[in-house]
Amino acid sequence: MALDGIIILDNTGRPIIQSGFRSSTTAYPLLHIDAVNNALQKADRSADVDPVIYVAPYNSANPSACCHVEVGDMRFLCPISGDVDPLFAFAFLQTFIDILREYLGTVSAATLKDNFDIVYQLFEETLDAGGHPLTTYSNALRDIVIPPSLLNKLLNVTGTNFNSTINSGFGAGAAAGPFSSPLPWRKTGVRYNNNEIYFDVVEELRAIVNKNGLVTFSNVRGRIEANTKLSGTPDCSLNFTNSQVISDCALHPCVRFQRWNRDKILSFVPPDGRFTLMDYTYSPNPLPSQSQVMLAKNNVALPFVIKANIELEDSGGSFDVLLTSRYSTHALENVVAEMHLGQGAGGIRCSVSRGSGGGGFINAGGSRNLETGGASNGASWSFDSRRMVLRWEIPIVSPSSSWSLHGSFSTANRVPRPSHVIRVRFDISSHTYSALKVDQLKVVNAKESYKPYKGVRGRSSGDVEWRW
Amino acid sequence: MSQQGQDAKFFQRGKIEEFRAELHAAEAKDKKFVKRKTVLKKIVANITMGTDMSPLFTDVVQCLGTPLLEIKKMVYLFLVSYGRSKPDQIHLVIPNFLQDCNDRNPLIRALAIRTMSYIPIPVVTDALSDNLRHALKDRDPYVRKTAAICVAKLYTADPRKAEKGGFVELLRDLMLDSNATVVANAVAALSEIGDRQDGVIFKLNLATANKLLAAIPESSEWGQIYILDSLLRYVPERHADAEMMAERIIVQLQHGNSAVILTTIKALLYLMNYMENRQLIDYICKKMGPPLVTLLSSGPEVQYVALRNILLIIQRRPTVLKNDVRVFFCKYNDPIYVKLAKLEIMYRLARAENAKEVLAELQEYASEVDLDFVRKAVRSIGRLAIKVEAAADDCIQALLSLIETKVTYVVQEAVIVIKDIFRRYPGKYEGIIPTLCENLDALDEPEAKASMVWILGQFANIIDNADELLDDLCYTFLEESTEVQLALLTAVVKLFVYKSKADKAKELVHKVLKWATEEADNPDLRDRGFMYWRMLAVNPTVAGEIVLSDKPAITTDSDRMDRGALDQLLLHTGTLGSIYHKNPETFIRHAAGKALKDSPALNAHSRAVLVPLARVQLPSAMPIVVPGPGPMEPQAVSSPVAPAPPLKNDSSPPASDQPVSVPANGVSSDQYPEDEEGDEDDEESSNRQTNNLDPYSNLDNAFGGYLADEPRPMAGGRHGDEDDLLF
Repeated sequence: MALDGIIILDNTGRPIIQSGFRSSTTAYPLLHIDAVNNALQKADRSADVDPVIYVAPYNSANPSACCHVEVGDMRFLCPISGDVDPLFAFAFLQTFIDILREYLGTVSAATLKDNFDIVYQLFEETLDAGGHPLTTYSNALRDIVIPPSLLNKLLNVTGTNFNSTINSGFGAGAAAGPFSSPLPWRKTGVRYNNNEIYFDVVEELRAIVNKNGLVTFSNVRGRIEANTKLSGTPDCSLNFTNSQVISDCALHPCVRFQRWNRDKILSFVPPDGRFTLMDYTYSPNPLPSQSQVMLAKNNVALPFVIKANIELEDSGGSFDVLLTSRYSTHALENVVAEMHLGQGAGGIRCSVSRGSGGGGFINAGGSRNLETGGASNGASWSFDSRRMVLRWEIPIVSPSSSWSLHGSFSTANRVPRPSHVIRVRFDISSHTYSALKVDQLKVVNAKESYKPYKGVRGRSSGDVEWRW
Repeated sequence: MSQQGQDAKFFQRGKIEEFRAELHAAEAKDKKFVKRKTVLKKIVANITMGTDMSPLFTDVVQCLGTPLLEIKKMVYLFLVSYGRSKPDQIHLVIPNFLQDCNDRNPLIRALAIRTMSYIPIPVVTDALSDNLRHALKDRDPYVRKTAAICVAKLYTADPRKAEKGGFVELLRDLMLDSNATVVANAVAALSEIGDRQDGVIFKLNLATANKLLAAIPESSEWGQIYILDSLLRYVPERHADAEMMAERIIVQLQHGNSAVILTTIKALLYLMNYMENRQLIDYICKKMGPPLVTLLSSGPEVQYVALRNILLIIQRRPTVLKNDVRVFFCKYNDPIYVKLAKLEIMYRLARAENAKEVLAELQEYASEVDLDFVRKAVRSIGRLAIKVEAAADDCIQALLSLIETKVTYVVQEAVIVIKDIFRRYPGKYEGIIPTLCENLDALDEPEAKASMVWILGQFANIIDNADELLDDLCYTFLEESTEVQLALLTAVVKLFVYKSKADKAKELVHKVLKWATEEADNPDLRDRGFMYWRMLAVNPTVAGEIVLSDKPAITTDSDRMDRGALDQLLLHTGTLGSIYHKNPETFIRHAAGKALKDSPALNAHSRAVLVPLARVQLPSAMPIVVPGPGPMEPQAVSSPVAPAPPLKNDSSPPASDQPVSVPANGVSSDQYPEDEEGDEDDEESSNRQTNNLDPYSNLDNAFGGYLADEPRPMAGGRHGDEDDLLF
């Protein structure tokens, strides 16, 4: 169970920074870099490269595998040798990326180069040369690797006293040494003048709709993201008015699992700052049931319907797509519908228009309309000739409104082979599918009592595959 | 937030001499050590870029005395990079190391210990020993947890020294530490040592295992993974122990970290082998489903690992995810590796109840663009027909409509699977043969062509113009691939048997036999030709009976993995082994093999298929490894296995390791209702039991069976028209 290290490649496949690789030869990381670059070159789509690449042994060394993920304009590699859990590698990579994001704001090749010493220190503190993850809770990390923003702030404020503070190993504000806290995720001695705690309930709908307009699969996965700014060691307990709508929960380690299982109360001492408190699945039908019939009822109602009339003929086709919102109170935002038209497609002619309700706003010709506000927000279309994808964007689909896209395309081949799928993505603000509602949040602090400011927000998004 | 860092300018190649001069200049008038810091940053940046900075060794080491943690860290970083290559100069740093080991700041103490452990030079390890012993008992948990990991490093550098120094015992003591992170790291270090083939075996007894479990709630996720993983080193002696332990860890399935979830599942699957309580087993199976589904809402990488594991798990525990086939429906935008993995699972989960849904999906996929995926989808339709009898009619309809699309690769794939369907349901679907014959010209791939030829030969009695069609196909006989040639040869013989009166058949069989025996280069083809020729010459009636004898019924069972191999693979749940579906010791040279260990609590089913760990004799070319002291358990100690392909060794395992080869179906299938589905397999396990002396023969079968995509005849394991000749 050990990870050999981390290599970060830029978008040309060249390494930016890599961890030590002390227990292996210098050729070892290079071997992995080559393996990944070769695999990427061979693949049509970079997304289709196996995420775990087998790396043949070289020079009688052990064979190994390379786990890799794409992050922005970079690719993070994690070579593993021996019988290691690739999920261990991916989980660690994700954690490391989250840490970088927290330290550097945006994670890109440029920011990494600008802060390479920080990245290096983070390598050292998060991953031991033998491949064991060390400290990955940012609460504890911030004590030993000073984030650049904090470092600069301290330099400006404290001036000369700064050295001794750092050298004694105590981070800013910490009353005791690092790792003195009994809870690995929370440091001791946190103090705020204004105590606040916020929760974002974020839900994502994924669904597949078949040719007949029936939902064959749908699933809403939600998570509660918390941002805590609370002094001392606060003990929070959070309960919901309708906890029966959620199931399959995955909890942050700070949550007392037994308490949740018994009373459906989230009882926890939170880390300081941002973290994901829990993940869950929304189950509209709370009765536990295994039968197929019940499962079908478990589908979540989709917020829109599509009527697609697509005719294929020799060397081309025409389409007429109508999207209608089913919601009467919430607007769908940033709606993007995409359809793959197949190899050799071109000659797209399209017009988009707004149907019922409102002024019948027409915006043809693929130009983007940046007008905002009002009900007549313009829709637009575009065609990505590299990916062969026709893209239809509607900034706001107001309640019960309908929108249409119709046009035609031609193909180089006689038989057009478009994908029989329209992929629709959208956001809905101030809304959750589950309508999960917080009943009460209690914060108890042993040393000093305070009344924190509390807030809860909802946000939804969706990714629906509509087949025709 | 990020605008402060502007260190990109350091990323330019600098000259050693310049850096040296700058370092010297920095010694004077360096307020707040800013200058030194800058130079060191440049040097570290150059190390990153791969420039050799080692000539600066003595100069950089000078900075170690600087009372600034940031500088100390950079110098240590430098030491870690080049210390190994400077055995003659490293003694310069030893005093600094010793001083830092006693610093009042725990971070510095830990840093010094850690850096020393990275430099496997005797001088350094000597200096490390004493300090490490102190560090393991340091009052600060950060130092203790760092020291625990360092023991594993020391062990790598010099195993015997580490053992003599009593470090392994010290680590065992740390498992009882009050700090959860320290406990987890001690477990990690002991596991690392135990996984070495020459390492001290790491075993857990009930008391220690329970103590470790108590540390889980306060550990970091990585610590939890180490602890959960170490539970596989505990062999329950009583059913109740296994059951209690499973109940304690099952809450971890709710963890937010995907690796924790999968490790928990691995531990649960392991413990279930030692359980007796059916209800609990069912309960656990039910609990495992949702977290696995949860993993599928993660990124495609995690999905892939999860899917490969799910494929193993559902073969061993068919109740898991039994009703969740929809979760595995492919989306158009899924990466191809995810789609293929989902497809396989959909097929495994297909039953009469959900076959309609699954078929509808498969049909959808067959119209997609990606060639590889479409082929697999068409093939899956055929496999579905063979697996689920109730769905066979619909599947045939689906295949026929696919053939109508005239897309060549779809047609070819359909023909291949239809051949198997004919064999599975004799006398049921022959009516569609004319449709197939219409598409004869579309077939250009050997496998598809051979399948069609088989159909023509097998049903030559009901295809009116079979002789003409075969005659046409024979025009290019000599240019065809061997696969097609063999099929043609057999087919014309069958034609002749059916229509021995017809002149055309006579003429054709004569022509083909002559080609096969006189002009073909392939010995198989020649031999088969001679054999048919003699058979027909000696006694045509008997030849006919032989050629058209009943074929063994086809099933899809044999492409499921063998139970014993599954049990063994599941010990590697979530690891590379489970991705490749191979035991790691077959592809990782120094991996310690894992196998279920026998105990009174092991259930009879698992015991019957127990795969012993073989002690493979070292080939003389391999380096001789000195075995470690202490008791060595033959079952627990792995021996190095030569690199793949696994060698078929003659050395049989020692008697104590031999499996109790009770034919599984005799034992207790009645008391394991859950396994009913899984046990069809065991009926034929008796022939497998016989090769248990060679553990790999067993596995090879299993993987061969799994990897092959097509259904196989129940016995014999040979495929297609070849087995016409087997009898």
